Amino acid sequence: MGRRIMIVDDAPIVRLMLKDILVYNGYEVVAECSNGAEAVQTYKELKPDLVTLDIIMPEKDGIEALSEILAFDARARVVMVTAVDQREALMKAIRLGATDYIVKPFESERVVSAIANALQ
Amino acid sequence: MRIIAVGIAEIKVVQPPALLRTNLGSCIAVCLYDPATATGGLLHFMMPQAPNASAVCKVAKYGDTGINELVEEVKRVAHVKSCSGFVAKIFGGARVLQNINSEIGSNNEEAARRILKELGIPITTSQTGGDRGYKIEFDVGTGIIRCQRFGEEAKEY
Amino acid sequence: MSSPEKLQKAIKVIAQLSIDTASRTFSKLIKSGATIDLERAFMADISEVTRIFSGSEDEVVGAYVDLVGEAPFTFLFFVSAPDSLTLTDLMLRREVGTTREFDLYAKSAVQEIGNVLASAIVNVFSRDFGIAMKPTPPAVTRDYVGTVFEEYIVKSAGELNELFVMESRFCVVQFDIKCHMFIVPLPGSDEILQSVLESPNMKEYY
Repeated sequence: MGRRIMIVDDAPIVRLMLKDILVYNGYEVVAECSNGAEAVQTYKELKPDLVTLDIIMPEKDGIEALSEILAFDARARVVMVTAVDQREALMKAIRLGATDYIVKPFESERVVSAIANALQ
Repeated sequence: MRIIAVGIAEIKVVQPPALLRTNLGSCIAVCLYDPATATGGLLHFMMPQAPNASAVCKVAKYGDTGINELVEEVKRVAHVKSCSGFVAKIFGGARVLQNINSEIGSNNEEAARRILKELGIPITTSQTGGDRGYKIEFDVGTGIIRCQRFGEEAKEY
Repeated sequence: MSSPEKLQKAIKVIAQLSIDTASRTFSKLIKSGATIDLERAFMADISEVTRIFSGSEDEVVGAYVDLVGEAPFTFLFFVSAPDSLTLTDLMLRREVGTTREFDLYAKSAVQEIGNVLASAIVNVFSRDFGIAMKPTPPAVTRDYVGTVFEEYIVKSAGELNELFVMESRFCVVQFDIKCHMFIVPLPGSDEILQSVLESPNMKEYY
């Protein structure tokens, strides 16, 4: 089972919070990106096993980034992370091919179970 | 000593002893002083120009209507007929929110300079621009303004 | 067309629900109990309301969010600069006192708190009242409280001289941290809020 994770969020503290949870649970964080454009580019270079992807970001949002990542790699595993309970956006993300979603503020257990399930 | 807080879109004109105090971001404070009568006034305005000068309720909101009103008010309180001898000091006009693309601060400063020049009132001090806020205290007895830019030491002007 | 008073009452009800949700969300984010210390809604003259903080020495960190959509609002969250360090430690589950200076993570902590609280409000609008909204990424600044608040009122007021301001203050009990939150409806909100007045959800509140 792959354990290489890329974290995408425009808030450095959220990236650190996720990294702390993931590293503590034995995952390797191979990249951190702060916007959707950077996420797409870095995905293409590193092909991580899984991406955690914030929805609302400047420059390119998570839905657009998701779409481009999946166009590049139809088997990409992406867990959306959102503070806004936007059913429409989340359903769109799932229909596009996102594996799961986490709502902020998140509990460690929820992050770990979403990641573990997505990587199975 | 009376300490008088001045909010956005306000003019306060007083005689000493008094301190006029305000904070600034993108707004400009025009401190007008008549040394002959020791009368001082502060205008804190937020936009350069009134959309329709004749129909403005809050004249102090705009640079053009506000500065003219400030001058008239200082003349009234000082019991003088002209603004000759008046001096101005201007503060503020910063761009505090970085990822909001707005030139409002520099537009406000430009409006203040233009209108004071039209009125023939010299600007003897300007502490403006940058990306941090200002805190000022105008002593109307001496005409001296204590200005502190966020993160720096206070200075007197 | 309903009276301005009825509309204000509608806004107050929505705001109260939003603030309740926001306070619970905030507690969850910092894993520490936060209570609502103050909650009020009032028509504010822009000069009077900015005089409150004018000339104060206090330094705060503020997060500004625009809530865009069918009922546009502006949002501001601010906390004192020293307390922002404590909030950073709480969010990162570190011992309080670990963060000693206002660094990238402290700035980001306030940014994220603003994001999460504004989103909690948006969730109430959409889930309970069917009003489609979206928060913009927060703009964060550290400055005098008078300057932070002034910029918020300037952003919100535009051509208006009076604003309907909803203020709430949260207290993080264990650490005696006080945070302020403001929301202001913008022109353009009236019509959709008008329709909310008639909804069954609203009628039980008044």
